[in-house]
Amino acid sequence: MNPLLTLSAIVVITLLLIIFTRRGRNGRSVSLRPLSAVSSLSNQMGEAIESGRQVHISLGQAGLAGTAAPTSAAAIHILDHLAKDGCASGAPPLTTVGEGTLLPIAQDSLRGAHQAAGRLAAYKPGMAQFVAVETEPYAFAGGMAAVIQQNKASGNVMVGRFGPEIAITAEAAARQNMSQVIGTDDPSALAVATAVTDHVLIGEELFAAAAYLEGSPYQIASLQVQDILRTIIAIAILALAAYQLLTG
Amino acid sequence: MSKRKLPLAIAIAFGFLTLLGLLFMPDLSHLLLGWAGFLAAVALLLGVLNLLAVHFGRLVNGRNVYSGVLVLSMVVVFGLAITDALSITENGVTTVFNWIQVPLETALASLLAFFLLFAGFYMLKRQRSPGAILFLLTAVLLLLSQAFTATTLLPANIRDPFQQVQTIINNIIVTAGMRGLLIGIALGAITLSLRLLLGLDQPYNK
Repeated sequence: MNPLLTLSAIVVITLLLIIFTRRGRNGRSVSLRPLSAVSSLSNQMGEAIESGRQVHISLGQAGLAGTAAPTSAAAIHILDHLAKDGCASGAPPLTTVGEGTLLPIAQDSLRGAHQAAGRLAAYKPGMAQFVAVETEPYAFAGGMAAVIQQNKASGNVMVGRFGPEIAITAEAAARQNMSQVIGTDDPSALAVATAVTDHVLIGEELFAAAAYLEGSPYQIASLQVQDILRTIIAIAILALAAYQLLTG
Repeated sequence: MSKRKLPLAIAIAFGFLTLLGLLFMPDLSHLLLGWAGFLAAVALLLGVLNLLAVHFGRLVNGRNVYSGVLVLSMVVVFGLAITDALSITENGVTTVFNWIQVPLETALASLLAFFLLFAGFYMLKRQRSPGAILFLLTAVLLLLSQAFTATTLLPANIRDPFQQVQTIINNIIVTAGMRGLLIGIALGAITLSLRLLLGLDQPYNK
């Protein structure tokens, strides 16, 4: 692709993002369709606090230095939200990561949540656990299953980049009748997730979760920009299909 | 500059430099991505130390046998890596990997089919919605189609309809769904990346 064309597209999308953010800050409200997975996240945290147990959250295996970094960045928003609620109530989430660069950011999220809750003394770096490297997905899945079983977690949240091996972890969680939320951008993992739980963040919904949980104007604006771009792409696909149909 | 603004300024500056490098100056982007790769390697080392520290703590405080096995394995493999480097042993790490890690992972991978089968049954037990029934029917139909089309025992007039169904499902329904999914993911990734680039999202600044 021509670099100038790419740069132009970036500039246009950025301008749209800024315009919609300003409109949001001026008080223009947007209604979002309900996502059962997002509602389930809040319920899981509530159940964990009531039962005095912890929710397991995994950020997957996509490194922050790779092309799948946005997937992990979206997952970190969900960890931030769960950590904020959990640490305020003395039930920080059991956090596991499957890639080195995710560990410091997960630790930072938990430390920040403890600090915000005025419980910095209770924070320990080992609250976020590195389980396996990204080249060993089965070891990672088995490690997550062990964390869930040994710590008697109250719920299981897996958000980020996973493969079909999440079936191993999801099975371990299902055996303990846990409520599960799975959000990923990998189609094969999504197929497994659909079979395992009703609360699935399908692809783009993972990226939208932050807007549902935090509702900042710039997050809502990015959803609006996505909707506009999706409409343009859909029209372009239909127009091209019609053109090909007519011209043979 | 305040404690929060410095990481933000660094992140935005390097984000834009990497973007410009990727678009116009490949050497600059290679240099920056090389630095990122080095930091990722350091992070991996920290990850391994975290794994060791967490399990050593569990072994000492909780007498956890599994953690003990993990710590012992790490120490043994580390020792083998040193003896390999000093030429006292030959391919020690590779041998351990091939004899223990590979069979264990292969066993887990082969169990995946059973986990998926159970997941399918759980789903039907959990919710008997039209979607769940369609999901299972499609899975069974595709499995049967693959089995029937792979065998030469069946006559062609029985095999061919299954082949056609399989082709229609794969080439039209699955491909269309996958493309829709990937377009949505790409759009989500683009807008999130721009938010990071503009400093609106700051996952590094807690």
